[in-house]
Amino acid sequence: MLAPRRIGTKPVLDLALLAFIAAMLVMGLKRPFLWVLTYIYIDIVMPQKIGWGIITSPSLKLSLVAFVAAFAGWLLLDSKRGSRFTARQGMIVLLLGWCLMTTLGAQYQEEAWQKWDWVWKALVFAAFLPLTLRTKLRIEAAALFIVLAVGTIAINGGLKTVGGGGGYGTLRLLVNDNAGIYEGSIISTAAIAIIPLALWLARHGTIFKPDWKVWTFTAGLIFACLLIPVGTSARTGLVCAAVLGVIMMRSVKYRFVYAGLASLALAAAIPFLPASFTERMGTITQHEGDQSASTRVAVWKWTIEFAREHPLGGGFDAYRSNSFTYQTREVVGEGGSQRVEYQTVTESGRAYHSSYFELLGEQGYVGLALWLVLQVLGLWHMERLRWRYGERSGRDGRKSWQWGLATALQQAHVVYLVGAVFVGIAYQPFLFMLIGLQCALWSYVKRTEAPERKPWAQRPDSQGPVPQPAE
Amino acid sequence: MIDLLTLALTHGLMVLAALVLLGRADLDDEEAGERPAARWQRPAARDAGPETDRD
Repeated sequence: MLAPRRIGTKPVLDLALLAFIAAMLVMGLKRPFLWVLTYIYIDIVMPQKIGWGIITSPSLKLSLVAFVAAFAGWLLLDSKRGSRFTARQGMIVLLLGWCLMTTLGAQYQEEAWQKWDWVWKALVFAAFLPLTLRTKLRIEAAALFIVLAVGTIAINGGLKTVGGGGGYGTLRLLVNDNAGIYEGSIISTAAIAIIPLALWLARHGTIFKPDWKVWTFTAGLIFACLLIPVGTSARTGLVCAAVLGVIMMRSVKYRFVYAGLASLALAAAIPFLPASFTERMGTITQHEGDQSASTRVAVWKWTIEFAREHPLGGGFDAYRSNSFTYQTREVVGEGGSQRVEYQTVTESGRAYHSSYFELLGEQGYVGLALWLVLQVLGLWHMERLRWRYGERSGRDGRKSWQWGLATALQQAHVVYLVGAVFVGIAYQPFLFMLIGLQCALWSYVKRTEAPERKPWAQRPDSQGPVPQPAE
Repeated sequence: MIDLLTLALTHGLMVLAALVLLGRADLDDEEAGERPAARWQRPAARDAGPETDRD
């Protein structure tokens, strides 16, 4: 017999989440853009999974309601002034079309269409989002909701980690589901990726203007984000944090002070880290002795072979056809009695454990190339904006919100792409929201800044308009 | 309890942000923020400072 599920605070939780969404939808009647923010929230936090009762009902279709409201609001009620369709948005549409084609010919039709159900929404929303982000305030609002949405999970995980609730695969993050953004490695990547955006909001925010309260919250949020790799014992998160620490050196004003303080903080934190975490992190360089890491390497080799036979991709979830045998090597015993033990492991239907191989296996060389160009162009566009505003040092270009946001989005993107090496997160809505923000910023700068002045017409001492970025 | 506290904090901030956005004219039109406000919306003369101090 099933035990009653609704006890204690659970009905309150359901009602509170529904009330929040209802409030956002009602406020959207006055400003339809708020429906876009509602969809961002629902797509990241997935309140349908957090609740216990009516909110979890499949017939409610919260995500679809917000999706339709965001679209219809823009189409019917919102001004289109300043909306631009950039080349990268076109590439997202191309990728969407390619995914549809591979899904039609997928080896595992049922599973492929299940994945298509959420991938198409992430891609369509990514192509649509920049059209709505016409003003600086809208870009800021979207960044704020992304940070607060990921922050909802990160703060929860951070508090539980401090309370001793962490561990590999055991940290419960608002839901009992270890999938999607709630999976340890994925939330670790996303949590580290939002740190630069949170810092940008604390410096340049106008919704919550910079003051001691904003900085206190930001400091707490960053601390919680850094605790997520500890709480989940996700090695991916540690790698992402290390990469972020290094790439932030590019943008900080006092590099030596930053490096010194970061080293000091790291040295002070190590004694407080749980033993389970340090043991697991110790296996980063020893993939032969670790089954999880060995599986990755074996799946990647299988995918390369699979792509040779299926250069146009096998469709979503093509990994289900894999099967391989490999050996793990582990040193056991202590002191003089140490010996090497080999173990033969046979596995089948193992996921890609890497976005790059996920793309290669599912979408083939064409899909992988499209996806890679989309990512590299984003990094390049943000670099172009950094140069553009960085050159304005005489007018504090590096202090401008545009330079800061381009830097934050680039750093977040790099962190995500590093995490993507170890986890299959190629189509995660969070990634495509970052891309949407990049497209919006690029489009905004192109629209609002003065037209390009030819290099030969510019005096060396001129601090006039900096060259216009080109597509 | 931690779940409720977390949700209350972040969702409260999102509602607050939405309320701020409702009152911001530059959400939809950046030039609206630069246009002079209606007479009833302007600050009282004594708060505005001397005319010569303005940009």
